[in-house]
Amino acid sequence: MAQQSPTPIPQQPKRVHRSGRVAAPARPAPAKPKRPGPIKRFFYGLARRVYFGAKTVSRIVLLLPILVFMVWVSYTVDRSGLFQGELAPRRIVDLMLQGYDVTNFESMDERQVVQLYAQDVPETPQVIGIGSSRVLQFNRDLVGVDSFFNMGVTGADVRDNMTSYYKMVTYDKAPEVLIWSVDPWVFYGNEAAYDYRADAELYNEFLTKVLGVPTDYEEPDKVELWKALVEPAYFQGNVDYYVKNRGQDVVTDDDGNTIEFNPVSGDPYDQTTTIKRSDGSVLYDTAFRNQTQEQILSLAAAESTTFNSVHMEGFDAMSDTQIKAFEAFIDYAHSQGTTVILVLSPWHPFLYNYLLNETDLHKGFFQVEPWLRQYCAEHNVPLYGSYDPECIEGLEEMDFFDGLHCKDTGIKKFFPGVPAVLQAVETNTLPDPLAVTPRTSLPTAEETAEGDAAAENADGATEENAA
Amino acid sequence: MTITSLLYLGFFAAVALVHYALPRVVRPYFLLAANYAFYCYDVSNRPLALVLAGATLLTWVCGLVIGKSRSKVLRVVFLLLAIAGGVGILLYYKYWNLLADAVAGVTGITPYHLDLITPLGLSYFTFAALSYSIDVFKKRCKVEPNLLHYAMFVSFFPTMITGPIERYPHLRPQIKKPRRFSYTRCAGGAFRILWGYTKKMVIADNISLYTSFVYTTPDTMNGPNLLAASILFALQLYMDFSGCCDIALGVARILGYDLIENFNSPFESTSFSEFWTKWHISMTGWFRDYIYFPLGGSRCCMPRRLMNVVIVFLVSGLWHGADWRYLMWGLACGVLCAFGRLTAGVRKKIWKYNPLYWADWCRVLIQRIFVFLLFVATLVFFASALYNADPYGVYAGIFQGWQGGIAPAWDSVRTLLHDSGIDGRLPVVLTCASAIVLAAESQGRNVARWIRAQNFALRWTLYYAAAAALLFFGAFGQSAFIYQQF
Repeated sequence: MAQQSPTPIPQQPKRVHRSGRVAAPARPAPAKPKRPGPIKRFFYGLARRVYFGAKTVSRIVLLLPILVFMVWVSYTVDRSGLFQGELAPRRIVDLMLQGYDVTNFESMDERQVVQLYAQDVPETPQVIGIGSSRVLQFNRDLVGVDSFFNMGVTGADVRDNMTSYYKMVTYDKAPEVLIWSVDPWVFYGNEAAYDYRADAELYNEFLTKVLGVPTDYEEPDKVELWKALVEPAYFQGNVDYYVKNRGQDVVTDDDGNTIEFNPVSGDPYDQTTTIKRSDGSVLYDTAFRNQTQEQILSLAAAESTTFNSVHMEGFDAMSDTQIKAFEAFIDYAHSQGTTVILVLSPWHPFLYNYLLNETDLHKGFFQVEPWLRQYCAEHNVPLYGSYDPECIEGLEEMDFFDGLHCKDTGIKKFFPGVPAVLQAVETNTLPDPLAVTPRTSLPTAEETAEGDAAAENADGATEENAA
Repeated sequence: MTITSLLYLGFFAAVALVHYALPRVVRPYFLLAANYAFYCYDVSNRPLALVLAGATLLTWVCGLVIGKSRSKVLRVVFLLLAIAGGVGILLYYKYWNLLADAVAGVTGITPYHLDLITPLGLSYFTFAALSYSIDVFKKRCKVEPNLLHYAMFVSFFPTMITGPIERYPHLRPQIKKPRRFSYTRCAGGAFRILWGYTKKMVIADNISLYTSFVYTTPDTMNGPNLLAASILFALQLYMDFSGCCDIALGVARILGYDLIENFNSPFESTSFSEFWTKWHISMTGWFRDYIYFPLGGSRCCMPRRLMNVVIVFLVSGLWHGADWRYLMWGLACGVLCAFGRLTAGVRKKIWKYNPLYWADWCRVLIQRIFVFLLFVATLVFFASALYNADPYGVYAGIFQGWQGGIAPAWDSVRTLLHDSGIDGRLPVVLTCASAIVLAAESQGRNVARWIRAQNFALRWTLYYAAAAALLFFGAFGQSAFIYQQF
């Protein structure tokens, strides 16, 4: 059998007619694509745009982490305090919120601390206190409530008082109770009554937005402010600041100045400098707290002669405008569901007596308390204390630090604590404000004689009763 | 609206969004409106928009007559009218005071100075408009019957601030038939923008901290610092200008337009003439086509040819500003170019006797360094004009203060770098970034195209790296682009 070749035998090639004697069948002309109708084209265009739009957006989303990181750094570091307040007050508030008392009270910008506290406090305090340094001795123990923050600031004028509370309201943190230590200059409608440190802009905002009083207040451009969050230059500044201060013992502010606000170490009552307590009250240094009666008296005597210089220069009469503002503020607080307790912190007996000797120079001052008592009586507003130390039973000279500031021992003698006040409000057993009559002038000789006779009669009656 | 502002990016993003949402036929008209909105954003520019519109209208009408007319005389007359209009605007707004001084110098009368605000992008839009008229006359370009299309070309906002100087034959087909949206094109354009911003804000603006520091008080600087500042100024100028062009090209690319590339690795040139074919290509190309060639170009005797080169560079110097220092810069470049051409043959012949040139890489390296240093030497005039310094004082100062050798000189430069704000990690960042940019763009490589060819992970890593470099090391709020003022 013959072996088959592995290579297939090639077949005869087929003849291909290239010369075209036999014409190849004509190819059909390619059909011209039919142009779709306008509706179809419209939807096609729309679908195309949606598809590519979605694709582009999805890629842009991939870049978002950069933006988020940038915003996060700028917001959290915030070296210029655009969003979280300045660095030093922020540190103070952070420490206070952590429950620390803070050193270096004299260097604090108290107003910024208060405003920042309002912003940062996570839970609304049940009670807040407002007023000048004369309210700063109100603390948790005296108030009788743990959830208390003292928003008083040194030298507070009416603007400080009102804006402190307003700030809480703007953050939707209106307290249940507001203790307002009303200073007489609250009713003085003159530039002299104003403290240069007060936030005039914020007060104008309060007047315009809340009380409807026209001022030159202009709504700040928040867009401009928030633009800083995506401002690369601000981001870089924050990165620089963070890198510089990371892990450092001494923290510096934006200008490189050291921020020296630290937690109080040791017993707060043994400090050689004044400290800010975590509840906002102030604890003076031991030397100031432990002065002798003579030392206190000499301070009061010195302050007697300069009494008007504390926001009351030329205070001849209560201002109608300020009265209206006061009334409007009380109404505003009530409208926020806040119970307002007014407190009149007493002046040192020597100082008050001194003022009684020159009533002509303090006409405005002596009008305030009677008016307030009348107002509280008419509006059923709790009122405790009196400017006149004689009106507070058992108050002694040793209950003062100086002519202006009453110690906690003194406050205890006229303020029963918030729970007791609230109960009195509920049971309608508030003390009658008009039951107390502060001295607004020195008694005449006849009045003195009548007073003595009355006293004798009273003593006689007492003896008879006792027999 | 500065090109480095968020506002510019926001404006561009809004324009791009609306642009692609519209039907293609309408897009050029929308862009025209956007161009004029961009132009008029700055209040001081608003009245000057009339200058832009006037130049556009004049050159369009002239182009129409030139293109349609069969009478040569009429064609020439209208060409001259277009040129007179374009050059007249340029002279009036940019060179009036210089001319007044010159006339006063000759006649002795008190110069009559005008306090004029120069229209934004004056040098760019007048050159673009002039090129159209001349191209129509030379029949290199069809006449444009649609005024709005032409107006869109003249006022195209990405090129308005720092160019490149576009030509109508290049842009016309793109205006006539706008491209469809292409994701790849847009992504490439976006990266080009990012690349441009990185060059400008990370490298150029940070270097400018030092160069401006030195050049604003050159009398108090020693030789090492003046030399270092001059060298760094060359790098700054490149990063600044090419960065801006990258942004312009990226923006235009996203909008569907390809513009002329303005740079092609100029620092890799091995001769000074070659350098000028790779630096500011759109401008040198414009001068070549509309000044050098009409003067006779290379088709004339050697002295005339060299003279033509010098004239072109003189005009180029003048284009940069009405300042004798720019003129001197142009003259220096022209003379160096002419000298290079004159000696090219001889130099090539003696190469073989130079042992350093035996290895090609060594020859190329030496030539590149030499060309770079020549460029640096001419830029002293340019930088002096920019910072209002005395260039001769700078030249003289460069050779002083070298006592003690290199080490104290380096210390002095390092100290001043630190004092000017280039401290911490910045010197390392600037060195690395410059090296990366120059390497990435080596041999005219298109970085945007290269990066698009990478896989997703690497590509996005690089995007993030560029964005991070920009964010952490960019000098924000420093300055406008150097070429913006021209």
